[in-house]
Amino acid sequence: MKISYNWLKNYIDLDPAEHSPEVLAEVLPLLGFDIEEYEKLGPPQLNNVVVGQVLEYIQHPDADRLRCCKVSTGNEGEVHDIVCGAKNFKQGDKVMVALPGAVLPGDFKIKASKLRGQPSAGMMCSAKELQIGQDHDGIMILSADTELGMPLNDLYTDGDTVFDLEITPNRVDVLSHIGVARELAAKFGLSVQYPEVKASIENGSNGTALISGVEVSAPEFCPHYTAICIKGVTIGPSPKWLKDAIEATGQRSINNVVDVTNYVLHETCQPLHAFDAGKIQGGKLVVRMAEAGEEITTLDEVERSLTADMAVIADAERPLVVAGVMGSLAAEVDQDTVDVVLEAAYFSPTSVRATSRKLGLSSDSSYRFERGIDPKGVTYAALRAVDLILEVAGGRVDGNQIEVGAEPPTLSEVQLSPDRVRQFIGFEVSDEDIQNVLESLGLVIAVHNADDGSVRWEVSIPSYRQDLQRDVDLIEEFIRVYGTDKIPESEVVARGISTQDHRIYTVNEAVADYLTGQNFDEAFLYSLRDPEETKFFFGEESFKVLALDNPLQSDQSHLRPSLIPGLLDVLKLNAARATGATRFFERGHVYREVKGQMVELVSVGFVIVADQLSREWRQREVADFYTARTLAGEILEIAGTAASKLTFKPIEQSQLWQPGHSAEAGDFAKMGFQATAGLLNMAILKDRWDIKTPIIAGSILMTPKFFERKAKRGRHLGISNQPASAKDLALIVDESVLAGDVEKDVAKFARKATQGFDCESVRIFDQYQGQGLPEGKKSLAVSMSFRAADRTLKDKEVNRAFEAIQKLISEKTEYQIRK
Amino acid sequence: MQEQLNAIVAEVQKSAPTIQARAEFEAYKATISGPKGALTDVMKGMGKVPKQDKPAMGKLINEAKTAVQAAFDQVVERIEAAELAAKLGPAIDPTLPAPDAARGTLHPIAQVREEMVALFRRIGFSVAEATELETEHYCFDALNIPSDHPARDMQDSYYLPESLKVNNVSKHADEKYLLRTHTSTVQIRTMLQSQPPIRIVAPGRCFRRDTPDATHSANFHQIEGLYVDKNVTLLDLKATLDHFVKTIFGPKAKTRLRPSFFPFTEPSFEMDFFSPDLGKLSNKWLEIMGCGMVDPEVFKAVGIDPEAYTGYAFGMGIERIAMILQGVDDIRYYYQNDVRFLKQFA
Repeated sequence: MKISYNWLKNYIDLDPAEHSPEVLAEVLPLLGFDIEEYEKLGPPQLNNVVVGQVLEYIQHPDADRLRCCKVSTGNEGEVHDIVCGAKNFKQGDKVMVALPGAVLPGDFKIKASKLRGQPSAGMMCSAKELQIGQDHDGIMILSADTELGMPLNDLYTDGDTVFDLEITPNRVDVLSHIGVARELAAKFGLSVQYPEVKASIENGSNGTALISGVEVSAPEFCPHYTAICIKGVTIGPSPKWLKDAIEATGQRSINNVVDVTNYVLHETCQPLHAFDAGKIQGGKLVVRMAEAGEEITTLDEVERSLTADMAVIADAERPLVVAGVMGSLAAEVDQDTVDVVLEAAYFSPTSVRATSRKLGLSSDSSYRFERGIDPKGVTYAALRAVDLILEVAGGRVDGNQIEVGAEPPTLSEVQLSPDRVRQFIGFEVSDEDIQNVLESLGLVIAVHNADDGSVRWEVSIPSYRQDLQRDVDLIEEFIRVYGTDKIPESEVVARGISTQDHRIYTVNEAVADYLTGQNFDEAFLYSLRDPEETKFFFGEESFKVLALDNPLQSDQSHLRPSLIPGLLDVLKLNAARATGATRFFERGHVYREVKGQMVELVSVGFVIVADQLSREWRQREVADFYTARTLAGEILEIAGTAASKLTFKPIEQSQLWQPGHSAEAGDFAKMGFQATAGLLNMAILKDRWDIKTPIIAGSILMTPKFFERKAKRGRHLGISNQPASAKDLALIVDESVLAGDVEKDVAKFARKATQGFDCESVRIFDQYQGQGLPEGKKSLAVSMSFRAADRTLKDKEVNRAFEAIQKLISEKTEYQIRK
Repeated sequence: MQEQLNAIVAEVQKSAPTIQARAEFEAYKATISGPKGALTDVMKGMGKVPKQDKPAMGKLINEAKTAVQAAFDQVVERIEAAELAAKLGPAIDPTLPAPDAARGTLHPIAQVREEMVALFRRIGFSVAEATELETEHYCFDALNIPSDHPARDMQDSYYLPESLKVNNVSKHADEKYLLRTHTSTVQIRTMLQSQPPIRIVAPGRCFRRDTPDATHSANFHQIEGLYVDKNVTLLDLKATLDHFVKTIFGPKAKTRLRPSFFPFTEPSFEMDFFSPDLGKLSNKWLEIMGCGMVDPEVFKAVGIDPEAYTGYAFGMGIERIAMILQGVDDIRYYYQNDVRFLKQFA
């Protein structure tokens, strides 16, 4: 909101030095009113720019658009030849002349020269060229009594500074010059002089000759409505003071009556509306709810269709104003207006806000109404506007102030104790300091001393400060005006013992340590992905469930079900830029569909380019499925699942993973975790990412609940010092049989076959397929290690166990023992 | 016999240095000290030596054995040295490039996040987590942001369809789901789950429906802080945040609390800081976080007695702080993940 320094001076005595615009620019943000920008208006300091008079002019002999002028600047006998392109002056007009040597804004140097062969020693200037105003339609014409030769800066002494303040939504009262003046007065110890209202009008419900009355059929929307009729105004341009003020707030001056309504809005924060009484059909104003589909063309010349939850000010025939938001062309005051009806009302903040949102239309009025204007400020603003209209446009008040409804109730008292203030802020201040600050803001304090020595204050709140409802609100007012710079610096006091970090965070820390140690760089990616991609990789149901209601961009409409596609984007970008990067991971949340519902999951994903990207004097082996499986298993182990509990099953069909070269373990929906590892689908990666190298990847999903598991503490089981005894076995099995299953079977049999000692480990250490074996078969070599806790094992007992194991294999499985 | 011994020793001393390989050595050794070896033969002849000559003869044999063994030891030593040299291969060149990949790096935002979390952990805060998917209640209502507050406009938040059911994010009543717009939701979830004293920081991802540009990103990260206990004061808030700023931005940094407004704190402030050591950003006030004393309405929403407890809360954008610290002028760099960018912060 734009606040003019000159305008503020109407209400407080700002000392040019002590309260200069520069000082205000520092003070206002510290009062809670941040400055988006502030600019100096009015002419800059310019030399050799003086008042001149056009003595005579002739058409330029060689240029249709130019005139050759003789201009005097007051010195007897001195005449300046100036060629000028403007046509809006006549002989004898007083104008601003920049003489040779002047440097106009934009570093425009004025020199004596020739224009199309005619001498020109100077320039007659427009308001814009001198930064006095926006007017650039021709040169400035000064009033005839302006003194010849007067320098520009003597003529225009009233430069202004305009602050564009960012007002927080709780402070509607500061959306006005009086509001800002009140704040500065509190800070600087000044007093506010409110403009005195001269008009004296009786309140009443009777109509006047102009309108028979006001009818409010939407009292919830409009609890309080007033109208004053003014007859016989003369519409015309606003006087300079009014025009300057309106323009300082960034608006366009329209005419004297409309400008007054806008002026009072920016002065008091009360929006007003002026109707041309002559255009009100049926002689009556009606505040009613709109009819669904009712149409109105608002002042911004947009035709709008209203809904039944919006209110309008209407005449007998049509809506004239969208209540609280914007007027229409239908009843606007224009140059032919003679009689005016001035509206001042209080509209319900939530209703105005809803209307403004629905219409996508915000105005200075709606902005204030929706924040809740001063419920008791309606009449003051109306009378202030009447005074100003009579002053600048003439006319006379006709009849009463027509009033329907009443001022909404306001909260008037808040309890506060100075001890509470001190306890809350944590440092010493005197009762008197607190009291002074609150009183400087216009609050009135009644002190109650209790018998026990405690002090209680009853603080009266002005109607324009409806944001002050609780003791903490008053504490805020105190600290705001007292100054946050007076809060002492102090040591950090860390009382008590801190609690445990959430495991999601600590596990993520450990995972990042692990993966960076495995040469992965961490990537950060967007959580929103493309709809088509979601459907392609995760199916129709996910596509439905993961969709946002209101995406901003069509390719970011779905919550990501996996980190892998984003990581592929990263590989693609790095490949395109030939950065040589081959390993990335991300930690983040992903979303999945389970039985038509969404589930939010904690995820870790990683990708590895399984190819030699660069020539090296010594090559390392590239990653494969087992690399990814180990990484995935370790990550889950860090998160708290024993790697031994992971049973990977081959993936047989997938768009993302390469069937036959990838596998999956766990089930997040049933077990709380899931891991997928292996090669990504080569054909699809080539198709969608143009990635032709094999990519090995891993994706781990964990439910937040999974992290609530308590970590298990290990217990010592004893270790044997006796020597181990080993046996190997080769088994011929169908090529579809999984080594893990064979390992499990053998381990099971070994447990059965050993008594009095243990089979410590069973491990597949070789796999063979090809010559010497039947088609469709493979051979798995299994090693077993036996050990007793208390003695060296005898060959005999180990052999007996080994034979028993082989017997069990032959009896219970299809595996053939290779002799 | 003595001549025989001398001849054997002489032969060994002559032949041994020419032996190159272990197998050759074993074969040669057999011809001397093997069961049918020359030396063994001589030793077998000891039986026939007259008794009185035996000590002298024995001495001679021992001398010969020692001499032969010494020659053999030299051979073994030489062969082992050669074998080791063969095993080791040529000497390394310590300046060849490493064939192994270097350690990976944490993302620059994660680095800054960890630095901040570590700082707050040292002064008694612990890390809290919550979901990114939230409901209007936990994101707005419970934080005293009423339904007609501008922050709840459709254009500011990403909403999920009304019909959506979420398995693991609880609703308060029948409100809509959305992606959390700030980490302040963690304040609410934490206060509902635990009793004061509560002292947490909650780093996490947030979402705003903003058109992406140099300072706006569809998702970004915040870190939230909350301290609720008896007698937590404004003085404590300032002390903690001053400590934060001076630790992160250096002891020369100055701070100020600029009064502001947030529905969930009262009083509310923006904290600005001013540093002489920030390159282009030096010597001007930079806004870095919002903070304030927890509003009693928030306490009421989570069932904490505002008469008994007070608290402070703060929230800041991690990207914003990272951009200041790392001199990054466009937030989008962080989400491109060009490894040349990522490695600049290693």
